[in-house]
Amino acid sequence: MKISRRGILKSAGALVIPGSVLGKNHAVPPSDRIVLGAIGIGRRGAQDLSCFLKERDVQFVAICDVRAERRDAVKQMADDKYGNKDCATYWDMHELLARSDIDAVLIATGDRWHSPASIVAAKAGKDIYCEKPCSLTMAESLALAETVRRYGRVYQAGTQRRNIGNFVHAVELARSGKLGKLQTVHANTQKPATHHDWLPAEPEPSKEVVNWDRWLGPCPWRPFNSKYIDGKWRGYFDFHGGGILEWGAHTVNLCQWANDADGTAPVEYDPQGNQVICRYANGVKLVMRDTGWLKLGTCAVRFEGADGWVETADTGKMELSENLQSERRDVTMLGTDPTTHIRDFLDCVKTRALPKGNAGAVAQTHVACHAAYIAWQLGRKAAFDPDKNEFEGDQEANRMRSRAMREPWRI
Amino acid sequence: MPESRSETIMAMSEAKLIEILKDSNSPIFDKAQACERLAVVGTKEAVPLLAALLADEHLADYGRFGLEPIPDPSVDDALRKAMEELQGLRLVGVVDSIGVRRDTKATVALAALLKNDDAEVAAAAAAALGQIGSPVAAKLLEETLDHAKAPLVGAAAGAALVCAERLGAQGNRKEAATLYAALRRPNIPKAVRVAADLGAEKAR
Repeated sequence: MKISRRGILKSAGALVIPGSVLGKNHAVPPSDRIVLGAIGIGRRGAQDLSCFLKERDVQFVAICDVRAERRDAVKQMADDKYGNKDCATYWDMHELLARSDIDAVLIATGDRWHSPASIVAAKAGKDIYCEKPCSLTMAESLALAETVRRYGRVYQAGTQRRNIGNFVHAVELARSGKLGKLQTVHANTQKPATHHDWLPAEPEPSKEVVNWDRWLGPCPWRPFNSKYIDGKWRGYFDFHGGGILEWGAHTVNLCQWANDADGTAPVEYDPQGNQVICRYANGVKLVMRDTGWLKLGTCAVRFEGADGWVETADTGKMELSENLQSERRDVTMLGTDPTTHIRDFLDCVKTRALPKGNAGAVAQTHVACHAAYIAWQLGRKAAFDPDKNEFEGDQEANRMRSRAMREPWRI
Repeated sequence: MPESRSETIMAMSEAKLIEILKDSNSPIFDKAQACERLAVVGTKEAVPLLAALLADEHLADYGRFGLEPIPDPSVDDALRKAMEELQGLRLVGVVDSIGVRRDTKATVALAALLKNDDAEVAAAAAAALGQIGSPVAAKLLEETLDHAKAPLVGAAAGAALVCAERLGAQGNRKEAATLYAALRRPNIPKAVRVAADLGAEKAR
């Protein structure tokens, strides 16, 4: 019997169609319900989770977090929703992922865990919704995409602007030719720098309260300080991919889409101050910059063609060139709202289709952002081959594409 | 002008970074930062100093951080030597770095580690063989799927998927197909069996 890819993916889906966990008074049949677990839920993760909990075809059953305080808070959130005490708690993600009743996981740890935890989840046969940025290095980005493809999983990065009207419409204007031949795409990024400092050592809490070793995970060891676990880990090189990636995971992602470049990355990166000017093989220029935007909100993008331009951002408002005023599509949904993106993910879990923030597209976005940050750190122009995912003739830059992981973690 | 100690270290030459590692009075922070910088600028001159950290409780991963990207064969020699001397988590880390560097000369030693009593070490050896992705590595992984106990079978199965992909990419289609077929056995985790079907179909 000939085995088709579609048939295999359907059987992969059949692995995850749930049936064992029932809530009360749900109209959605159990066979259509997606059983969800979560790993590492802080402030943003709680926003995501509250959206998941509103979806009638989701049954949330388990939380894993290395902090007891957060495990308890999420359990309370879920138990309040369902009117029971059933939400299970774990500090070790392997225990949660070993549960055969769980179909999908929400991962909203710090950035250091996004790729490794997603890879472990994919290998366990789970579908994944993971917050961004999705990787700390170029190597992680590529390994993540390879693993998701290899295991036939559905992966959605938390790049929700791909499912929000004003951004989608701006991309369509670029892709449909209404701007004329596309010339320059602009991505709003933050200041690129990270630093290598350590905070002063504090007494390490008991593992039951905070498992510091597991919090660090694949990152190099350093002494405990409570500020890290309270969200002050951003900006540290060991934990964070820098300000280009922080917003570029969204905005460069949209620029790639607008340029029909989801499967590639720019071939040249030229750092100028806090900006990086990039060029694609098709001649389109990508400008990653932190200043000079119209006041339309955070995470702005601007697409310029020979015949017109469009700029939009998180307020949902748009500005367009005079000749394109009839194309204005302001929306009220904020760019930070993950509701429609989560629905896209859940639908794809059922259909096995590719979601908008799929691992392949997201990997290339992250490759572009990492490449830009590497060029910025080196302070010089860098040429890049997106087919080989390596810098051309630049050994120093190539050595910055990956980082050794602390044992026993690997990708 | 550098404003902090870490910025000062990040601006140092390789020779200065090596001095930090040589000095037994250097603070652990300085040594850690020196390793991270040597990952970018280190040469074979730095390899013995970085390798000397591989048994250190807190600096072993920094040693690997520095070593892994250095494009000099002395790194592979040092990692293979460390593989003979270390145990437990430190050994796992070294084996992982060998896998990242896809050091085919380590194949025999990795084969021996598949039988290590420490499950983490055996799993790391399987993963490294998967990364190496040679026909010999494939044979070793296939044998492991036949004879090993459950936890190692899971690790070896995941590694065999990677190995099969690498074999296919190198044009070794027959060996890849054999490995994919071995991954359809009932003792293999279901997620891997599905992945093996996908891989086999793609490799056809």
